[in-house]
Amino acid sequence: MVSVVLFRSILNPFRQRLPLSQTILFTQTREKKRWMKSYMLLMERKKKLEGPPAPKPRSQQPNWDYHAEVEAFGQRLYETFNLDLLKIAFINPCYITFEEARRRELRLDKENITLNLKDNRELFEKGSLFTDAYLHGCFSRAYPNLPDDGVKALTSHLTGSQIVCHVARSLSVEDLILSAEFPVPQEVLQKTFFAVVGALLESSGPERASLFIRDFLITQLIGKDLFELWPLVNPMGLLVEELKKRKVSLPEPRLTRQSGAGTVLPVYFVGLYSDKQLIAEGPGETVLSAEEEAARVALRKIYGYTENRRPWDYSSPKKEPVAAKALSS
Amino acid sequence: MSNFTKAAQQWASFSKIWYLIDAKMQPPGKIATMCSVRLQGKHKPIYHALSDCGDHVVVVNTRHIAFSGNKWEQKVYSSHSGYPGGFKQVTAAQLHQKDPTAAIPDEILKNLVEELPQPRHVPRRLNEYTQEEINAFPRLWTLPDDYRMK
Repeated sequence: MVSVVLFRSILNPFRQRLPLSQTILFTQTREKKRWMKSYMLLMERKKKLEGPPAPKPRSQQPNWDYHAEVEAFGQRLYETFNLDLLKIAFINPCYITFEEARRRELRLDKENITLNLKDNRELFEKGSLFTDAYLHGCFSRAYPNLPDDGVKALTSHLTGSQIVCHVARSLSVEDLILSAEFPVPQEVLQKTFFAVVGALLESSGPERASLFIRDFLITQLIGKDLFELWPLVNPMGLLVEELKKRKVSLPEPRLTRQSGAGTVLPVYFVGLYSDKQLIAEGPGETVLSAEEEAARVALRKIYGYTENRRPWDYSSPKKEPVAAKALSS
Repeated sequence: MSNFTKAAQQWASFSKIWYLIDAKMQPPGKIATMCSVRLQGKHKPIYHALSDCGDHVVVVNTRHIAFSGNKWEQKVYSSHSGYPGGFKQVTAAQLHQKDPTAAIPDEILKNLVEELPQPRHVPRRLNEYTQEEINAFPRLWTLPDDYRMK
C-alpha cells in the first residue's frame, strides 16, 4: 500500500485544474519490493539480539476494565463475592508502598500521597488459617490411620507455593493482582490466593469457602502418590512401629520372584510376611530396594492411600429436607 | 501391582524375563515360534516394535531336536555369499552335525525365571513303561505257538 500525497491543484482527465487541499491517497502496489528482504533481515537480527519482549501485565494491555474483570472473576467461579472485599484481597502491601513512593517521587501534595487503600494482610491470615484447618480436618477424616506427620505433609504440599501458584495462575488471579513487581513473585501470588479465600469466607460463609478449597486444591492430589508428597527416609522402621501399635507380628522379608540375577538389569520381588500371611510385595533393582518398596506398599495399604481407594467425594452438598409443617386447618 | 512407587512400577514393567525351554524331542518350528514371540516381546501388552521389550529365552537340548517325517534328509537350507559360485545348499542333517552344544553356564542358570511348556507332547517309549503297567494293559488276544510273523 502506498500513500500518495497530492499537491494543491490537480488535473482531472479533462485537463481542468481543480484546486484541492492536501489529500492522501491510499493505493495498493503489488510488486515485489526490493527493500522488503533487507528490512525483514534487519528486523530478525534485531529480534535475535534483543530476545523475546518482556511480559506485560494484562492490565497494561488493551481492553482492560478492572471492575468488570473483578465481577467476572466472581461470576466465573459461580461464587457471589462482596466486591469490595474481593478488591481489597487483590491489593498487596508492596503495591501500596510502591505507589506511595512513586507519588512522592512525582512530588504530589501530602494528601494525594497517602492512598486510602486497605491491603490484604488480614484476609490472607483468615484465609490461610481456614484453609489449613479445613484440609487438616478433611484428611484426618478421610484417612483415619494416617499419622499426624502424613496429614501435615499433605496439607503443606497443597498449601505450598507451587500448587497454589499453579491454581492461582489458572484462575487468573495473576491478572487481577495489584503488586509492586511484574512478573508477580510466588510468595505474593500465594498470599493473594489465600486472601481471596479469606474474602470468600467473609462474603459467603465457611461452607462455600470449604467447597472452593475442595474443588480447587484437593483436586490437585489426583494421580499423586502418598510418598511423593511425604518423603520418608526409613519406611521399614515406620512400618515396624505401625505393626507394633496394632499388635501384629513383625514382618519377615522373603524373596518371592526374581529375574536376571546375574545381569545388569535384575528385578527382585520381595514379599513381607507377618504370621506367615503376605501383607505386601514390592519390586526393585536390588534385594534391599525391593524390601524398602515392599515396606512402602505395606504402609500405603495400612494408611488406606492405595490406588483402588474410593475416590474423593466431589458431589454438591444436599440441602437437608425442611420438616414439613403439618397443616392445621 | 498398583500401590508401587512410579519408578519401581516402571522398572518392573520393563524388566526382561529369562525363560527356559527344553527342546528334546520337539519340532524345531514350534520351538522357534514360541521363542520368536517371546524374543520380540509380542506376548506383552506393552509391546511396540521400537521399544526394546523382548525377553530372553534359553533353549536346552537342541542336540535332540526332532524333525517329523523325512525332513532330516529332504529339508534344504540355502544361502548365497554374494560372490559368484557362492550358492550353498545344506540339508538339515548336515547342518545339525555342525551345531555345537554345551552345558548351561551358572550365570545364566541364576537368571532363569520360568520354564516354558513344551509344544509337543512326547510319548513314552516301551522301555519307559514299568513291567506292572505293561502287565496291567489289557491284551486283545495271545499269539498261538505256530503263528508266523511277516
